[in-house]
Amino acid sequence: MTGRANSIIIVGGGASGVVLAAHLLKSPNPDLRVTLIEKRPHFGQGMAYSTLLSAHVLNVSAAGMSAYADDPGNFWRWLLERGLATSEQAPVYAPRSVYARYLKELLDELEARERETGRLRLIREESLSISPTPSGVEVALANGTSVVAHLAVLATGHDEEPGAGQGHAIRMGSEADTPLDAEAPVLVLGTGLSMVDAFLSLEQRGHRGEITAVSRRGLLPSPHRKGNPIKLDVADIPLGTQLSYFVGWFRDLIRENQKAGIDWRDVVDGLRPFNQKIWQNWPTSAKRRFVEHTKAWWDIHRHRMAPEVYARVTEAVQAGRIRPVAGRVVAIAAGEAFAVEIQSRHTKRLETLEVARIYDCSGIARDISTTSNSVVRSLVDRGLAKPDPLRLGLDVTANCELIASDGTVSAKILAVGPLTRGTFFEIDAIPDIRVQCARLSKRLLG
Amino acid sequence: MLTKKGKYGLKALVHLARLPAGQLAFVGDIASGNNIPKKFLDAILGELRNAGFVQSRKGKDGGYRLARPADEIKVGHVVRVLDGPLAPIPCASRTQYQRCEDCNEATCQVRHLMLEVRQAIAEVLDQRSLAEMRDIAIDELPLALKVQA
Repeated sequence: MTGRANSIIIVGGGASGVVLAAHLLKSPNPDLRVTLIEKRPHFGQGMAYSTLLSAHVLNVSAAGMSAYADDPGNFWRWLLERGLATSEQAPVYAPRSVYARYLKELLDELEARERETGRLRLIREESLSISPTPSGVEVALANGTSVVAHLAVLATGHDEEPGAGQGHAIRMGSEADTPLDAEAPVLVLGTGLSMVDAFLSLEQRGHRGEITAVSRRGLLPSPHRKGNPIKLDVADIPLGTQLSYFVGWFRDLIRENQKAGIDWRDVVDGLRPFNQKIWQNWPTSAKRRFVEHTKAWWDIHRHRMAPEVYARVTEAVQAGRIRPVAGRVVAIAAGEAFAVEIQSRHTKRLETLEVARIYDCSGIARDISTTSNSVVRSLVDRGLAKPDPLRLGLDVTANCELIASDGTVSAKILAVGPLTRGTFFEIDAIPDIRVQCARLSKRLLG
Repeated sequence: MLTKKGKYGLKALVHLARLPAGQLAFVGDIASGNNIPKKFLDAILGELRNAGFVQSRKGKDGGYRLARPADEIKVGHVVRVLDGPLAPIPCASRTQYQRCEDCNEATCQVRHLMLEVRQAIAEVLDQRSLAEMRDIAIDELPLALKVQA
């Protein structure tokens, strides 16, 4: 696709949309036209970086958060230049609102630079649907107009609404999240990083009641520690095996390194450059087993919290303010408050809990065919897109092209970021998204 | 550095890849058809089963078959399971590193180059499926005969 795809619409102007636009605009092509569409008032924030709470820090240290794949120090230099960090402080876990400012400034700079060339156009409006046309694509907007281009890239990120079957659960910070009595007990579905975010928000609001956090295994994320990832080559790593074989290999690798005095984090992080390759080479049966049995363990070791946040969470658990429970919610009765019945994973005993609020922090993955995003929904409804075999996101090729329900590959509608989780597995964080965007830009524009 | 174990394992898998989908082969037949000691082959197939490349059935009609279609199994993936990390010499591996008695690895240029060579090995072997390897022989046999003639 060289020379033809000069005009590209990016649907979704959150972090992945901005990162993709930045990589596309590196091309010297004077005929390039990039249109970035975002329904929120601000670009570059999306769900991940719209929080204003200073306790909501990035889960990746600043050294890993550059928007550019070929300039990994970009964000770190930006922090240093503005006096927001000093080099002795590293590793720094910056507030997410600071990261939103970084992306905003980056986009402002691009906008100023491209004003003369007309290569970048920003539209603040909700997108309703994408339709293929003989010459490209047409994106219909909520204001009744539409925009056309050679191709469109979906960068709509995480779903804004809780998944189906979460009953009365709401999202922290949504409209339904009205003021609560400071002593009111609450239930959080999930014990991962989103639960930690919810806890920090509640603290900020002066909430003091008990927070019961339920997940299948009740595992809390581990803390970051300053380290040095071990060096691995693809030639070292078993690929395409059954899951148990791979897990055995990885356990041995950690054990050997620990014997040599190396922290397990350095082994987990050393694998990171190969995670997508490992995932893509597994047979579907191994992927399915991983999602069902191993992912919860992987997540708490791989997706860690900043040390300061970990200290706060640990203190809260010890003080009984956060109560992690391994189990599942079997019934919720709504009245003045919610009566929630939870079955313990280990004892199978039922426990009934009265809570004033239920927050959905059960993870960002949900069945894409029930998405609240109208663009994605309409693509699935018309058969132009379908869920991947494990229903983690949309089915896309390794080149980010959408695969229709009849199996045909679209050359005109593509996707980046969390929507592509089924194919790219770890594609929620900037370090992975920027590599995906760099490769896609190179393929589209050379 | 492909060991005998790796070579035998690949030959056994090619043998299985030639069978109609789902059909089982006796270990004895694979061994005699490919000049592999049977005891050794038992051990090799056991490891390939643990890694999920072959399936076995016990009993009188028992035997082995591929666990997945031959075009989904990559040669490099099999070699890693049988021989460990792909490496042209034992010191050029990061996880199963074996020190050379006679040199200092930090300053050894040979090792440095061999670390690059292993990337090239991985690139070739990870691109080729069992089905492709099986078909090389069939495609090129007539050609080889023609050249001889």
